[in-house]
Amino acid sequence: MTAAARTGAEEEVRARLPDVAALAEALDAVDYLADPGLATAMFLAVRLPQPLLLEGEPGVGKTEAAKALARVLDTPLYRLQCFEGIDAAEALYEWNHPRQLLGIRLAEARGAPLDEDDLFGPDYLLRRPLLQAIEHRGPRPAVLLLDEIDRADAEFEAFTFEVLAEAAVTVPELGTIRAAHPPVVVLTSNRTRELHDALTRRCLYHWIDYPAPERVAEIVRRRVPGSAEPLAVAAAAAVGRLRSLDMAKPPGIAEVIDWVAALSILGVERLDTAAVEASWGSVLKNRDDQELARTRGAAWLADAGHG
Amino acid sequence: MADTRIPPVAAGPLAVGLTTALHRAGLPTTPERAAGLARALQLVPAVDRAALYWTCRVALVTDRAQLPVFDAVFSAVFDGMLDAADNRGDPTAPPPIGSEPRTRPVPPDSRPSTPGASQGTPGTAGGDDGGEEGEREVLLAAASAEERLHSTSFADLTPEELGQVRELVRRLVLSTPERRSRRTRPTRRSGDRLDLRRTVRAAHRSGGDPARLVHAQRRWQPRRLVLLCDVSGSMEPYTRVYLTLLQGAVAGAHAEAFVFSTRLTRLTRQLALRDTDQALARAAEAAPDWAGGTRLAEGIGQFVSGHGRRGLARGAVVVVLSDGWAQDDPEEVAEAMRRLHRLAHRIVWVNPRKAAPGYAPLVGGMAAALPYCDAFVSGHSYAALEQVVEAVREDVRRR
Repeated sequence: MTAAARTGAEEEVRARLPDVAALAEALDAVDYLADPGLATAMFLAVRLPQPLLLEGEPGVGKTEAAKALARVLDTPLYRLQCFEGIDAAEALYEWNHPRQLLGIRLAEARGAPLDEDDLFGPDYLLRRPLLQAIEHRGPRPAVLLLDEIDRADAEFEAFTFEVLAEAAVTVPELGTIRAAHPPVVVLTSNRTRELHDALTRRCLYHWIDYPAPERVAEIVRRRVPGSAEPLAVAAAAAVGRLRSLDMAKPPGIAEVIDWVAALSILGVERLDTAAVEASWGSVLKNRDDQELARTRGAAWLADAGHG
Repeated sequence: MADTRIPPVAAGPLAVGLTTALHRAGLPTTPERAAGLARALQLVPAVDRAALYWTCRVALVTDRAQLPVFDAVFSAVFDGMLDAADNRGDPTAPPPIGSEPRTRPVPPDSRPSTPGASQGTPGTAGGDDGGEEGEREVLLAAASAEERLHSTSFADLTPEELGQVRELVRRLVLSTPERRSRRTRPTRRSGDRLDLRRTVRAAHRSGGDPARLVHAQRRWQPRRLVLLCDVSGSMEPYTRVYLTLLQGAVAGAHAEAFVFSTRLTRLTRQLALRDTDQALARAAEAAPDWAGGTRLAEGIGQFVSGHGRRGLARGAVVVVLSDGWAQDDPEEVAEAMRRLHRLAHRIVWVNPRKAAPGYAPLVGGMAAALPYCDAFVSGHSYAALEQVVEAVREDVRRR
C-alpha cells in the first residue's frame, strides 16, 4: 500500500499541476512569486508526494508559501503552530470533557439511558489540525502546515511523523480514521535547534533566500495594491541597503510591505528624507537598529536609489 | 531548448552517481535519498541544467550548510558532462550554479565536510554515566598527591597530570536552574488548573461522579546551557581542559557548545561523540581558527545575531570561557554583551587569569563585559572549576 501511495499524487492533482511551470503560473495567479527552486520544491512535495521542509530567515515567506499552495490546490489549509511543550491533545484530538459531563448530567435529569458509546462519539471529539487534515474529505488533499516545527520538542516531532507516515489516526474509542486523501505537508523551521535526522531524512528540503530587490519590489506592489511603483522600488532598494548593515533584526519582506503600506497611507509617493524620518518605526523594529540606521542618516536611506 | 538539453541518462544511474559523488564529498546522503531523486526526476524532466539542479538540490540536500559542497559537486559532475555534449560555450546557458544571490555567508555551524562525519549523531542521552556519586567518590579518594592536581593552575601541570585532570573534569556535572515548562503532570493537591481528562477518567470508576478531582501542575525543566569557549592563542594552556568540560556538558546536560577565536564555530555535533579524544579531534578539525587572535566582540556578536536571536540563548544560562584579552574595541564588546544579556537568563564568565595575583579587570574587553555578567569566576584549576559548577547552578540574576 505504501509503495503504491508513493508512486505519485491523485489523478485530479496531476491534472491540475502537470509540471513545474504550471505550478509557478498558478502561484503567480494567487499573487505568490516563487523562484524556480521553490516552485520545483513545492511541485515535488505535491506530486511525489513527500513532506517539504522550508527554511529561511524570518519574513521571507515560508508560511505564505504554504498558504499560496492551498489556494492553488483550492483546498483548506490546516495550520499547526508549534511551541515548546505542545502535545498530542493540542495537535491531534481531545475529548470534549465538559460536554461529556454535561451529557451525563442531562441524561440523568431526563432519566434517559446513556451508553458509553454515546459519550465517546464523533460529537464529543475536538478535532485539532492534524486530525482535521487527515479527515479532510477531498476531492483534493488538504495542505497541512506545521509552522516552526523546531519549537516543538523532539518527541513531538517523532510522534507527528508517525501519524503522517501512516496517514491514519487511531482513537481507541472510535477506531482507526484513515485518510482518504493524505495531506500535502509543509514544515517550516527557524533553525533554533537542529532537527532530528529522522525528520530531515523523510523531507524534501528548500532554503529560501532573501530575494533580489526587483523581486521584493514586485512582491510589495502585489501585496499593497494602492502603492506607487517608484515607491515600492525605492523601498525595496532602501531595505537592501539596511540589510547590508550589521542589524540585530534585519528587516525582511514583511517589513518592506509594512513600510510601503504605511507610506501609502501617509500619502507619500516618493521616498525622500522627510518620508523616511516619519516612518522609521515601520521598517526597523529594534531600538539599536534604529540608532544604527539613524547614524547613517535618513538621506542615505532615501537617496541612493535615485543617484 | 534543444541546446541546453542534457544528454539523456536514465534517472536511476544519474541519481546513484550523483549521490555517490556527494557521499564521497562528505554529505550524509543515503540510498533512500537516491531513490527519492530518481522518482523526482521522473516527475520533473531535466530539460535544462537549472531544472536538473533544483530537482537534485531539493531531493538531496537536508541542510543549508550543505549547499556549498552540493553546488561544487553538482558542478563537477554535470559541467563535465555538459561540456562533452554539443553545447560548448552556449551563451544562453542558465546561470552558473551557485551564483544565486546569497545574502549572508553560510553559518559556521556547518557539519564538517569530512567523510567520517556522515554518520548519524550518536545518542547523547545518559552520557553522564559517572554521575554525581562517581564525582563524589573521586573527591573522597583525593589524596595529598592529588591535592596538587586540584589546586594547581592548568597552565602549570605536566602533560600526564593534565590527562588526569581532564579525566576528573569529564565527570563534572553541570546542571542549570529550572524553569516552569508548559507541560503538566497530574497531582492530588489543588493546582492552578483542573486536569479534566484525568478527572473524567477517574469519574468512570465512581459511576460518572467526579468524586476525586485531579489537578494539573506545571512541570519543571532545566534551563538550556550554552557554553562559548575562547580558543585563541592566549587561552592555549586552558583550552584542552575547557574542551573536555564542554564535551561533558554536551553529553550530560544537552548543552550547546561553541568556540571562537577570530570567528564562531558551533561544536555541539562534533562534541556529542562519547569518545573524548575522537570528539576533540573532530572539534579541532571543524574550527580552523584554532589558537588565532581573539575577536571577542565578533565571537559573541555572531552568536547573538545568529543562534542566540533565533532562540538558543533565550532564557538560557550562558557560560563564556575567555581571558578577555581582545583585539577589538571595548565599546563593541560591551554592545555584544548588552545584547546577550537581554536574551540570556544568566551570564557566567570564566576567566582563568582572574586567579593571578594583582589581576584586576580594569581595561579592555573584560572591563567592558563585566557589567553584564551575573557571575565572574576563575576556573583556572580543578578546584576552581567547582566554582563554575556552583555559578551555573545558582538561580539569581544580579539585576
